[in-house]
Amino acid sequence: MVIARMADIVKRYGTHLVLDNVSIEMGKGEIVGLLGPNGAGKTTLLFALTGLIGVDSGEIELFGRPLGDNTLETKRRIGFVTQEVSVFQDLTARENLEFFGGIYGLRGPGLKQRVQHALEIVGLAKYANRLPAKFSGGMSRRLNIACALVHAPEFLIMDEPTVGVDPQSRRHILETVRELNRQGTTVLYTTHYMEEVQAIASRVIILDQGHVIAEGTISDLVEQIRHEERIRLEVVDVTEPLLQNLRKLEGVKGVVVEDRIVRITTQVGFGNLDRVLAAASEAGGVLSINAERPTLEDVFLTLTGKQLRDGGEE
Amino acid sequence: MTIFRFVLKRFLRRPANIILVTLVPMAVVFIPVSGWFPLPMGFQYFGMALMFIAARMAAIVMEDRIKGTLLRVGLAPVRHSQYLWQNLGAYALILVGLSGIIVTMGTAVHGSMLAAPGLLFLVFSCFSITSLGFSLAWYSLFRNREGAVATITGVIPLMMMLGGMIWPVQAMPALFRRLAMLLPTYWLAEGLLSTAHGAGLMGLATPLVVMLLYSAAFVLLGSMRRLT
Repeated sequence: MVIARMADIVKRYGTHLVLDNVSIEMGKGEIVGLLGPNGAGKTTLLFALTGLIGVDSGEIELFGRPLGDNTLETKRRIGFVTQEVSVFQDLTARENLEFFGGIYGLRGPGLKQRVQHALEIVGLAKYANRLPAKFSGGMSRRLNIACALVHAPEFLIMDEPTVGVDPQSRRHILETVRELNRQGTTVLYTTHYMEEVQAIASRVIILDQGHVIAEGTISDLVEQIRHEERIRLEVVDVTEPLLQNLRKLEGVKGVVVEDRIVRITTQVGFGNLDRVLAAASEAGGVLSINAERPTLEDVFLTLTGKQLRDGGEE
Repeated sequence: MTIFRFVLKRFLRRPANIILVTLVPMAVVFIPVSGWFPLPMGFQYFGMALMFIAARMAAIVMEDRIKGTLLRVGLAPVRHSQYLWQNLGAYALILVGLSGIIVTMGTAVHGSMLAAPGLLFLVFSCFSITSLGFSLAWYSLFRNREGAVATITGVIPLMMMLGGMIWPVQAMPALFRRLAMLLPTYWLAEGLLSTAHGAGLMGLATPLVVMLLYSAAFVLLGSMRRLT
């Protein structure tokens, strides 16, 4: 059963084309990871999918019905974890959940039960009567998620839910997503963290500059770049002449610098490991070098020419 | 009525709000009649207090917009109009209730100085709603909370002065007298003066209707800005 479908969606802000003929589909029970660099159009896509913003053209269907048909009933079946923590700071965790459960139509003992369940899922039951102002960043994020879960949505949309949280809270959030999915919730998950998508997603959609540039399971996507290899070079000092020499090597498709680490994407069969080592030795101070197996991050780098996190450097 | 209930809860939870809706307006009840205004002076200031309280209430709506909680409400099966009306309804309930308490206390303190307390209550109640609408519309013009609050704090006393709540409009130049009619505070002053001079309900029709029209226009303007 198809939970969500967007076909040929075009969205412009003034003259800026944010979504350019985007088409995606999500089946019941999937966890789909939506990846894209900053400004790729991820949040716009999510807002369009939920009807929060209109689109210029294209069709959107949720639960098999066009968006706009019985919107309130459709909204009742969706949970949305916003990118920013958007809870009432002057209400306790429990009251926040009672509020959001209430506006989704929950009442009485049913509401109380759902609130308690949501608190337990995100591990905040002990802190139910505290104000969010007293929470750590990770706890606030978990409350933000609980507010989207309290009405037991069939389809959960999560817009970068782990930004700025500690590793423990991140693990808890990812485990929560897996558990919800096991219980039948379909999840659309956007993030900047590749390892999160690798950990939970059954399928990945990569969005760049308003286009869907790749879609499939992680192994499908990695297979697409089997003709490439990645060399990780650690040097004492990254100099511009070194980078220029690396870029000039035959078969090299991309060079990305991250502190003292240079990642080189090259076509297989050019023997570039030796040539990279030679170029780096000439520049002086090689600390380590090794060839890496392609990962989802490599797929992303190959397709977009950018690193996902922190913008990267081509 | 979840939104309505939580609006009341959130507003009354803040100690500063409790002080604002109890001590400050109640203090004005004890100010005696003085100068040109035919009612105890406190009733002039109560009009200003209503505007300040309404501004503080509407600031919470703005805060929800800026902090993104309104976005979350927008994703829920609730229409924006429902959200807005339940907010305004809860705040109006507080302000109208407060007007009732002030007029009752004023009657006890000033006795027959307060002719037609029922009509006074009606005038203040209408102005409460106008004040809420005005604040909502004002905040909708701003993206920044600090800027909106700072400017409205300056604008309210100015509106009171130009609207004839601090001195009579007749004391101002002709141009200002005409411009004053564009301010809701002018119609509050008209309503209060007419009541003090013994006008009945029909005599108050114009100021009451104008205030309600202002309320509708302000709320319409204020509701146009939803999420951004």
